[in-house]
Amino acid sequence: MISSIPDEYSEGAFISAENLCKTYRRGIEEVHALRDVSFAIPSGELVAVVGQSGSGKTTLLNLMGCMDVPTSGVLRLGGQNIGQLNEMARTRLRREQIGFVFQHFGLLPTLSVRENIALPALFARRRVQQRVDELLEKVRLTHRRDHRPHELSGGEMQRVAIARALVNSPRVLLADEPTGNLDSVTGAAVIQIFQELLRDGLTIVVVTHNAELAAVTKRQLVLHDGKLQP
Amino acid sequence: MTWILLSLREWQRRPLRMSITTAGVALAVAALWSLLAFAHGYKAGLRNDLDKLGAHIIVVPKGCPYDAASLALHGASWPCYLKAEYLKQVRAVQGIAVAAPVLMNAYFDGSGAQTVYVGVEGNMLRLKRNWHVNGHFPSRAGEILIGADVAQRHMWRVGQAVRLPGTDNKRGVVSGILAPTQSADDTFIHLRLADAQRLFGHRNELTHILVQLQDPNRMEHAVAELRGCGAGFDMNVVPMAHLFTTIGNVVNSTRALLAGIAFVAFLVAGAGVSNSVMMAVAERTREIGVMRALGASHSDIFRLFWSQTMQVCLLGAAGGVMFALLGARVVEAWLRTRLPFAPSGSLVQPEAATTVICFACALFIGSVAGLLPAWRAARLAPTVAMNAQGGRA
Repeated sequence: MISSIPDEYSEGAFISAENLCKTYRRGIEEVHALRDVSFAIPSGELVAVVGQSGSGKTTLLNLMGCMDVPTSGVLRLGGQNIGQLNEMARTRLRREQIGFVFQHFGLLPTLSVRENIALPALFARRRVQQRVDELLEKVRLTHRRDHRPHELSGGEMQRVAIARALVNSPRVLLADEPTGNLDSVTGAAVIQIFQELLRDGLTIVVVTHNAELAAVTKRQLVLHDGKLQP
Repeated sequence: MTWILLSLREWQRRPLRMSITTAGVALAVAALWSLLAFAHGYKAGLRNDLDKLGAHIIVVPKGCPYDAASLALHGASWPCYLKAEYLKQVRAVQGIAVAAPVLMNAYFDGSGAQTVYVGVEGNMLRLKRNWHVNGHFPSRAGEILIGADVAQRHMWRVGQAVRLPGTDNKRGVVSGILAPTQSADDTFIHLRLADAQRLFGHRNELTHILVQLQDPNRMEHAVAELRGCGAGFDMNVVPMAHLFTTIGNVVNSTRALLAGIAFVAFLVAGAGVSNSVMMAVAERTREIGVMRALGASHSDIFRLFWSQTMQVCLLGAAGGVMFALLGARVVEAWLRTRLPFAPSGSLVQPEAATTVICFACALFIGSVAGLLPAWRAARLAPTVAMNAQGGRA
């Protein structure tokens, strides 16, 4: 288990944070979602972010996914300081280097499996027919390619979501409770896919409560009340 | 996966709502199409009727000159008359090429059908260049020249002796039948002026005089001369161009009614489109968050919702034009009941530009209506959208 690793801010870390803070306003109240969080995640690692509800896990994932900007501190992704990027640059970074997997899958109900997988490529203005077929094979859903999400099981939907996250060949996969809505068997299948992706050299950060998933990670960032625990 | 496919798939999500919204646009487009087609059809029909009258000026008895002109165009019994001697004064005016005297009267037969008799002289043929007569123009007493519709209705042939409908057993011989002119002439029975004056008991009287000028550019001069002649105080001199404008103005109220309907329909359709897309944005807020997380930019989200609006409006425009085409006869029948003067021929005549204008208006309304919801969707922060209660991505 790791927490704060100041020595690893050095080059080589794909994601690094230094004194990262995120503060929200909720009415007149200020919520300190993250306080002075520092860490480094090298390329090709599977890292779990764990902690109780409200500890700041999703906030941290959103920051790493360029969905939000830090209030203070430095967060680098692939060498780029996210806090200094404008909205357009952050969108480009999300599109080209980041893949997202959500607890609730986030599949568009009107699109088929194949079309859902191809969706991020549309935003990237890429043609990905062959890539979609490869990913369908990788997540073992070729036979479901023309089905709609409501025709799939939870495990299948999450595998579609993973394939979708990979379609633009990102450098990092960010997963928010990817097994949270799955039973243990289908959850294990998702964990197996993550391990295969890890072997392919992908950097994976998962927010999870799943002990089995946390157990296969090499490192864990433990958050408590917005602070990284030693 | 393409942008068009992505927005087209939204029709599957809320087909009823999308269909109702599209129907709203279709109704607005149908109203506009009917208005434009009517405006064009009426103008073309009136122009056609006036052209086929073959005159530059119509001289009518004192009274409302436009009512009188309308009677001359449609055919009817006249309430007042010109003295036949005025014809000499009209012909004496410089620059007059043809002055054709006319005595018109109408009778209703037992079935309620109207038969219009028009007494004319041979010089009428100089005005009616479009006439093709099968047989010959009446040259002897009792001869009649009948319009194509009259011939068809009564199944009369050239040379046939016939009883004149509506008269007291008066008889005539068909000397000629007019080829269809697509004007009121098709429904008239022409006879010699002297015969008409005797038949209707209006000896030495005329209902109107059709005047053709040697040089139409000298219209103002000729009108001034006619008004200044001795009979000028007892007759109205109406240039056809004025008549065209005046009758056109008379139907402005109908046109304004149609324009009002089209305007309100477009406003309602625009509000409907805007509301429909706004609801879609609210329902799909989480989806928008997911798409932003997957790399969609502000402009991508804007484009998605805006193109959806455009699809609704394009489809609505196509449906509206088709609906209006199918309902053109109904609209025409309704318009004829409202109009003080309806020219012969179709009142609803679309041009290519009519359809183009309808599509342009639908797209414009769609653009405006779609702006706010599309802008709101695009402005959503990804994290806010992801945490929204709406939607089920």
